[in-house]
Amino acid sequence: MAEWLAAHTKTLSLWCGALATFAIYSVLYAENRFYRLFEHIFIGLSAGFGVYVTWSQVLAPKWWQPMVHKGQWQWIFAAVLGSMFYFMYSKKHAWVSRVIFGLFMGLSAGLMFRDFYEIYFPQMGASMKPIVGNSISWWDSVNAIVFYAILISSMAYFFFSFEHDSPVVQKTAAAGRWFLMIGFGAIFGATVMGRMTLFIGRLNFLVNDWWPTARVAWQYRFFQTAVVLAVIAVLVQGFRALKARSKTFPPSA
Amino acid sequence: MNVLEKLQTIDRRVLYLLIAAVIAVPLLQRPSRHPRIVFAEVRNAYETLQKVPKNKIVIISCVWGPGTRAENEPQTRAIIRHLLMQGTRFVILSWDQLGSQLTYEDASEISSELGKRYGTDWVHLGYNPGPMYAIIRGLGKSFQEVFKVDRFGKKLRSIPATRNVRDYRDIGAVVEITPSGTVASWIAYFNQPFDVPLIFCPTAVMSAEAYPYLDSGQLDGMLNGVIGAAQYETLIGMENERTYAAAAAWALSCAHIFIIVLIVLGNLGYALSKRSTRRGGGKTIG
Repeated sequence: MAEWLAAHTKTLSLWCGALATFAIYSVLYAENRFYRLFEHIFIGLSAGFGVYVTWSQVLAPKWWQPMVHKGQWQWIFAAVLGSMFYFMYSKKHAWVSRVIFGLFMGLSAGLMFRDFYEIYFPQMGASMKPIVGNSISWWDSVNAIVFYAILISSMAYFFFSFEHDSPVVQKTAAAGRWFLMIGFGAIFGATVMGRMTLFIGRLNFLVNDWWPTARVAWQYRFFQTAVVLAVIAVLVQGFRALKARSKTFPPSA
Repeated sequence: MNVLEKLQTIDRRVLYLLIAAVIAVPLLQRPSRHPRIVFAEVRNAYETLQKVPKNKIVIISCVWGPGTRAENEPQTRAIIRHLLMQGTRFVILSWDQLGSQLTYEDASEISSELGKRYGTDWVHLGYNPGPMYAIIRGLGKSFQEVFKVDRFGKKLRSIPATRNVRDYRDIGAVVEITPSGTVASWIAYFNQPFDVPLIFCPTAVMSAEAYPYLDSGQLDGMLNGVIGAAQYETLIGMENERTYAAAAAWALSCAHIFIIVLIVLGNLGYALSKRSTRRGGGKTIG
């Protein structure tokens, strides 16, 4: 058995992957138990694998071995500090966890200062684009003017410190809102592209990785029987789902 | 109900099937032709890695896991192939438990295909749980003190590829391949303080937000999703090879055209049904 498994690891993993893909995408038809089962299998597997990787690649080589085998006893303090987080589950000793949470909040607040000036200051500087100059072409000037028009109108939209009474401010802010909408549209378009790529990835797996092995397996009677049984099971389940649905939502006259 | 009105009430499951069919054609055909147009940010990324001196190392920071494998894996593979082809040493750093295994398998496969060796040409540093900012800041000051060992527990000082890497001075570039907003940590704690080139490879969702960083020069190049990966493959001489990135680029174009057609038809049907309602006082849909 072990030898057979070792020899067919690749095929088995392809079939498991295909089965999981079909199960997860079955939710596009309707919510079902098959989908839920594989969702839980995925969560369990990734959690289990995560524990293994965290121990084998992080805790064991970087914390346990130096502390136990190399005499670097000071690593014990990491365990003490880390375990302080778990006191949040105790009503009586929750204050212990607040100490470590406070430490991390202070650290994050401090880091934000650095984040702000390292990330946004260069962008503010880069926004001051020259419109004319010796090395500036007419096309660069056009680009810079468009950039300033969008920058100023978008900023005008977010001026909340005073009333937008002046028609100039109103019109500029309205233009800013349009530019923002176009920006959001671009982000949404990119999101569609990203989601579509994820679907393409799965479909590519089914078409180019799994399908060739499925065609090879089709020559075995055992496999043909299994496929027929699976199709019948899916049809029966679908028919039962439709029947239950028509009972819940009777067709209107 | 006429045809255009019916278009507004198509069952979503029919649309899913149609999109799957539209996407499946380029995937089955696997066209070898890569996009001939290469965006400036992709070309800049390529040129940045071309300029990395041979005595320096490149850090490939992978935040991705199986969830965004379809987008981030082609980027990772294209970058790895380029670096191995030009003989630039690199280390892979993974911030995702499952992604750690996937990136190792990718690099191993390409490395054996090109006759390169683990330890001499590249090293995998395994999974790092974070905190990201602390590790990034630390590796700029002392690479060996922060990472110490590779994914197999072998000391970096004893591995030829990483033996002489001391700090930021020995790091030629950083490539951040991610589905999330982690690039800000590299900008704030590595790229800006140490002036090391940074290349960003986000999923398409993240790419629109990255353009201000490119404009300000905080990023030296970008690979925008799988399209960026296909364009990068064109630059490294794979323009006539049947790769997943090329097929995905075509499939993506087909899917986009199909979606645009559906949007146009749906809106046309809506406008016509509204007009007929106004004229005849009929019933509106939806």
